[in-house]
Amino acid sequence: MEKECVLKDTKIVGSPIVHLLGMTIVLFAFWMGLAGRTEIKFIIYGLIAAGVASWITYPLLLLPNKDGSKKYFALSISIPKFISYVVWLMWQLLLANLDVMKATTSEVLDIDPKVVRFYFRVDNPMAAVVLADSITLTPGTVTLNVTDDGLFEIHALTVGAAAGIEDGSFQRKVADLYGEKLDFEVVEGEE
Amino acid sequence: MILYDFAFRETFAAIFMVAGAIFFIASAIGMLRLPDFYMRIHASGNSETMGCMLSFIGLIIYEGATLTSLKMAIIFIIVFLANPIGSHILSKAAYKSGHKMWTLKDLRKEEDEDADLHH
Repeated sequence: MEKECVLKDTKIVGSPIVHLLGMTIVLFAFWMGLAGRTEIKFIIYGLIAAGVASWITYPLLLLPNKDGSKKYFALSISIPKFISYVVWLMWQLLLANLDVMKATTSEVLDIDPKVVRFYFRVDNPMAAVVLADSITLTPGTVTLNVTDDGLFEIHALTVGAAAGIEDGSFQRKVADLYGEKLDFEVVEGEE
Repeated sequence: MILYDFAFRETFAAIFMVAGAIFFIASAIGMLRLPDFYMRIHASGNSETMGCMLSFIGLIIYEGATLTSLKMAIIFIIVFLANPIGSHILSKAAYKSGHKMWTLKDLRKEEDEDADLHH
C-alpha cells in the first residue's frame, strides 16, 4: 500500500505546513542556542538538521482521537493561553509545595492519604496528557492511572490536595487551554 | 560601583539558592518520615519542582544573561517535563501490581498494636 503524504492528510486538525514550519523554527532556535555561533556554516547546518528532524518526527507527533476521525498535532497549542496556564501552574506549585512542606515537617504528620477518582473526557489526547502531567508535577497529588475512557485515579497526600483536585480548577484550566468543553465529574466512594 | 553591583546580584542569587535548599531539605525529611511508597513520591515532588526551580533561578541570576543561562533554563524545562513522567510510571507500576496503600486506618491499627505491647 502506498504511504500517503502527511501534507495531504485531511484528518489533521490545522495546517501541516504551519506545524512543520513552526517545529523547524523552534528546533532551529534550540540549535542556535546550543551552538552559540553565528557563522553561515552553522546556520545552514542548523536549518537542514531542523528541517529533516521535523519532517521525520512529524508523523510520530500526530495523535488520533478515540474514533479516529481526527488527528491532533501534539505540540499545537495557543501560545498566549499556554503562557497564562504556565503562570497559573507555577502559582499552584508554590501553594502545593508549601502545603506538603507543612504537612511533612510538622510535629505530627498532617496527612490523610486517599485515592480520588474522576472522569475527564476530552477529544484531544494531549489534554489528558497535560492534565495528568500537571497533577503529578504538583506535590501532594500523583496520577496513578488514566484509562482510555477518561477515568483518572489520583493519589492525594493531604486534605487540601484532595480538595484541590475535586474542585475541578485544574480540569477547567486544561479544558480551556485546549478549547474543549469541560466534561468532568468526581466518582464518589471507595473503589 | 562595579563591586556594589556584583555583590547585589550575588546576594539575590544566594537568597534563591538557599530557598531552594530549604525545599530540598523538606523533601528529604518527608522522604524519611512518610510511611509508604506512594507518599514518598509526593515528598520527592517537593524537591523536583520548587527546589529545582529556585536553585536554577539562583544560578541564572548569578550567571547573568549569557548563553550558559539559556542552557540552564533548557535543562530546567526538561527536568520539569520529564520528572512527572518518571513519578507517574513508578506509581502506576506500584498501583497496577497491587502495592498496598497506607491510610489513616493503618495508623490507628499500628497505635493499637503499640498500646498492646506496652501493657
